[in-house]
Amino acid sequence: MSKRAVDAVFQALFLLSDVRFLLRETAPGHDLDEGQKERAATTLEKVKRQVAILEEELVR
Amino acid sequence: MKCAVDIESRDVEEMYINIDPIQAGGRLTADAMKAAISFADGYSVCDNCRSPFRLDYIKKPPIAQFHADLAAWLNMDAVRVVPGARRGFQAVASTYVEKGDPVIVTALAHYTEFMAVEEAGGIPLEIQKDVKNHITPDAAAEKIEAVIREFSKTPPLLFIDHVDYQFGNVHDVAGIIKVAHQYDIPVLVNGAYTVGIMPVDGKTLGADFVVGSGHKSMAAPAPSGVLATTNEHAERVFRTTQAKGDVTGRTFGIKEVEMMGCTLMGVTVVGMMASFPHVRERVKHWDTEVAHSQAVTDALLSIEGTKVLSDYPRQHTLTRIDTRESFDKVAEQHKKRGFFLSSDLKKRGVTGVIAGSTKVWKFNTYGLTEKQIRHVGESFVGIARENGLNIV
Repeated sequence: MSKRAVDAVFQALFLLSDVRFLLRETAPGHDLDEGQKERAATTLEKVKRQVAILEEELVR
Repeated sequence: MKCAVDIESRDVEEMYINIDPIQAGGRLTADAMKAAISFADGYSVCDNCRSPFRLDYIKKPPIAQFHADLAAWLNMDAVRVVPGARRGFQAVASTYVEKGDPVIVTALAHYTEFMAVEEAGGIPLEIQKDVKNHITPDAAAEKIEAVIREFSKTPPLLFIDHVDYQFGNVHDVAGIIKVAHQYDIPVLVNGAYTVGIMPVDGKTLGADFVVGSGHKSMAAPAPSGVLATTNEHAERVFRTTQAKGDVTGRTFGIKEVEMMGCTLMGVTVVGMMASFPHVRERVKHWDTEVAHSQAVTDALLSIEGTKVLSDYPRQHTLTRIDTRESFDKVAEQHKKRGFFLSSDLKKRGVTGVIAGSTKVWKFNTYGLTEKQIRHVGESFVGIARENGLNIV
């Protein structure tokens, strides 16, 4: 049982939901302002960390 | 991209600005999307259902608290979540209306109010709208008097839409309730276009029942809604079952008849709950939403020949517009006929106007950002210019 992997899946999906919401807020051009770009970058960095956890837990 | 066999993923909200008249207030918040991911399984909220076994008693997730919070927020005494506003109408009609009873609705009532009355065996009778497309207290009084004269009995229920779906006009609900109460007629306020997007105070309105729609105006998955009432009516509409199996002798505890036991058992209720803090906050910014609606309406009115059929200045984000003398004139000559408007809008990243509509149609600007509002207004004006219409 890998609680860490399960948590990482949910966390990644939640973070991606924030990205999805950002796409909605900026539709149709998705022309992000500086603040939005920063938000996107921070969120995507966090997604990468969750994916790394998943690789650690499930693949390696 | 497909999300499952033969099911295309839906990316309308991500790819376009959606001004569909019924979809705007039901767009999920990010928190509701997260809750939906977590609670997508069927009976997901039932993991910790303990005696007494009923949805509104569940403490984890905090559904019981949500019910209390919803009641307080609407300034009503008791609430239940229901699978859509229509199920709220149905519960109330089923409780109060007997076969052959006259029931007052309005000329602007949603069809599901008629169906709730019909299912209960009642006869729906409409209060006439005035020339400004309003339902007035005077018209309500006139109809009540006429119905009492004709049926020799007082209607057991009156439905009034706080904001109607046809024009997005705000009606004098408090005034109509005052009139109905003079005849001891309980009133159900249909808040499908108000609860969750603008402030609603049930007690101030004097409502006996307030019904809201989760998927229309509370940023919740469908089908979801809320039925709120007062202590006076709660015991009756939320009565518990008295049924007993004649063979087994089984009884069914505190299950409520009109709720058919439990109602929203998964993603719908947690979606509503997750959006609720945002919903509670967003109704405080109603003025901004109305200003946005006004801006798009004004952009449309700048196109020569266009008329607004809803109240003007706008008091709501749902608007009915008449473009028979503008976009419909273009449609007469255009190779795409009436489809040119929705097609051109889509090219500009705007969707939600019914394909083919160039005569009388509706749009809803709720929840759009300032930038998106500008884009929508500029899109309408741009399309008009490109097609030779005058901008005044």
